[in-house]
Amino acid sequence: MIKVGIPRGLLFYDYGSLWSDFFTKLGVPTITSSETTKKTLTDGTNLAIDESCLPLKIFLGHVHALLNECTHIFVPRIAQHHKDYYYCAKFAGLPDIVRNSFNIDERRLISPNIESKNLYHTFKACREAANCLDASPIKSYLSYLHALHEYKNTQNLSCKNKDTFVAVVGHSYLLHEPFFIQEIKNVLSAQGMKIATPDQVPPKTLYELSAELHPEVYWQLSAKIVGAAQYFCALPNIKGILVISSFGCGPDSLINEYIDNLILKPSGKPYTFVNLDEHTGNAGIVTRVEAFLDLIEWRQ
Amino acid sequence: MKVVYPHMGYLNIPINHMLNSLDISYVPTPRITKRTVEIGSLHSPESVCLPYKLTLGNLLEGIDAGANCLVTICGAGKCRLGFYNTVQKISVSKVMSEPFSFYAINTSTGLFNSLYNFLRKASPRSSRITIAYSIAKAIKMLKAIDTMNDAKNYYGPRSSNPELLIDIYKTNVTKLDKCQSFKEIEHIKDQTLELMRSCADETMKPLKVGLLGEFYVVVEPYVNFEIEDTLVKLGVEVKRLVSTADWAYAQTLLRALKLYNEETEHLDGARPYMNYHVGGEGLKTASEALRCAKNGYDGIIHAYPFGCMPEVVSEYALKRITADFDLPMLALSLDEHSSGVGLTTRIEAFIDCLRRRKTQRIRKNAALL
Ligand code: SF4
Ligand code: SF4
Repeated sequence: MIKVGIPRGLLFYDYGSLWSDFFTKLGVPTITSSETTKKTLTDGTNLAIDESCLPLKIFLGHVHALLNECTHIFVPRIAQHHKDYYYCAKFAGLPDIVRNSFNIDERRLISPNIESKNLYHTFKACREAANCLDASPIKSYLSYLHALHEYKNTQNLSCKNKDTFVAVVGHSYLLHEPFFIQEIKNVLSAQGMKIATPDQVPPKTLYELSAELHPEVYWQLSAKIVGAAQYFCALPNIKGILVISSFGCGPDSLINEYIDNLILKPSGKPYTFVNLDEHTGNAGIVTRVEAFLDLIEWRQ
Repeated sequence: MKVVYPHMGYLNIPINHMLNSLDISYVPTPRITKRTVEIGSLHSPESVCLPYKLTLGNLLEGIDAGANCLVTICGAGKCRLGFYNTVQKISVSKVMSEPFSFYAINTSTGLFNSLYNFLRKASPRSSRITIAYSIAKAIKMLKAIDTMNDAKNYYGPRSSNPELLIDIYKTNVTKLDKCQSFKEIEHIKDQTLELMRSCADETMKPLKVGLLGEFYVVVEPYVNFEIEDTLVKLGVEVKRLVSTADWAYAQTLLRALKLYNEETEHLDGARPYMNYHVGGEGLKTASEALRCAKNGYDGIIHAYPFGCMPEVVSEYALKRITADFDLPMLALSLDEHSSGVGLTTRIEAFIDCLRRRKTQRIRKNAALL
């Protein structure tokens, strides 16, 4: 009995609902790994090469948890959606990383290659997914279009609010990873701070801001972060900006410096960078966030 | 205008030659020293990859020596290289009080065009032909240097005095500087090869090791602590599978003629361990490692900057390849804190292990006969 496992990591937080909906429409049952725990992280860290970024380690932990629960694992290779933007090397090599780490049978891995949004590539990716499942490519393609349509409709966003906020900016898979972010949210809300995140802004706005003011930035996910930083810096009801990033992230190592000098510093708003790694205890994070809150208060 | 550009291996010889012949004034990039590493790291984000820090160090030292036009490369892609220049510019503008220009030669739109345009601007009086000729000559020199280096790595371990061959190589490479024509370059290269051949006994069968990984750390002897020469001195034949000349040649000429496509170049070679391009040298590393595994190499050395994104992806593949083929591997992840002594010890231990394996294998084979 076919069952496709979807690891709860990396782009799952952006596209997870689209993926599982796609499989459901195709008539294939799915299972998503449970939320990250200490064990997920430990397993992932043991499996991963030391220098890998934290989100990749977590991702491998999720794959590990799924292997015995399903017949197939869904690990798409997402390298490019837009001609001017790239995903980082880890995304481009994700199926290969999984294949090499677990030495699993090639046929268990559903890894369509997504390099462009055009019709031909989309169809090809849908066909690749269908092939692994003995499904018809046409049905696969239609299921995808259908799922995509619904996915787009569910993205209703709101950021029109008169309240004051702290903006939390970073990769979606860090901002939505309860294992790390819950504590940060708790500290902020204990101080009565409301949180604004990039998901509350239409992605188009973020990309446009980035493309217009920062055309040098060429990573898709970084462009979104840069756009968000720019967007929040311009809003008067944003009291401060917290940038979350992770140990071992290649793009962040340069993008943080870039945002720091070209966006955050000139904006005059209080801001802090919080770097997460597998050893970061909650205590460390809490201290940093509290220091950040003090900074906001002091500025006021 | 005074140009400075970052150091990398012997790249300075052909490039300076090119700048000289086009009458472009430049500051000879100071050789990388401890100070380069220090000031580079001081002005860099902590977790960025090593080449970033060193190339920034080069530029800052160049500024100290009077340069005001900084030339590097850029080009969008999956890894960080293309974004170096953007952030380095920010760091430089923090320390530089006088106006400066920053020129990034774009590799993603074709190195040749971008380089050509830069040279046209920097040397307005040179004709098109002169510029094209000087680029071609620089590539020729690079190729000669690579060939001589390969020869040193091949004949060195087959001679009774490897250090002599290393000396010959170093001396003759600097002679290229004076060459006026293609013919002279060819002549020096041939002479060097002849001389080296005469020192070696080609019947010897030394250990053979493949050196692969990220471009910069494989090519720049300062950061890899002269790994090639260390191996040659240990009597090991080292095949460097990353070459400046091939890269430059492919990026300029072949690409300008649309004969080269990075995406397909190593795809077949890396299957089934890697099926996709991941930026940088990632895919190439996997395909070369697989080639070494299938062609009787005694071991491979994977050198890359700590945290290098494409090489970390290929390290996953290399672990699997080396396990499947029972091929010993030494992974060297380098950063500004790496120590030469530590590295040499690890290399020596690795080579010892390869020697033991080889004698065991020979004994076993003898027993079977
Ligand atoms: S963008 Fe950063 S965190 Fe995300 S996968 Fe790439 S290196 Fe890892
Ligand atoms: S290839 Fe590696 S070392 Fe070079 S820029 Fe990319 S990430 Fe950095």
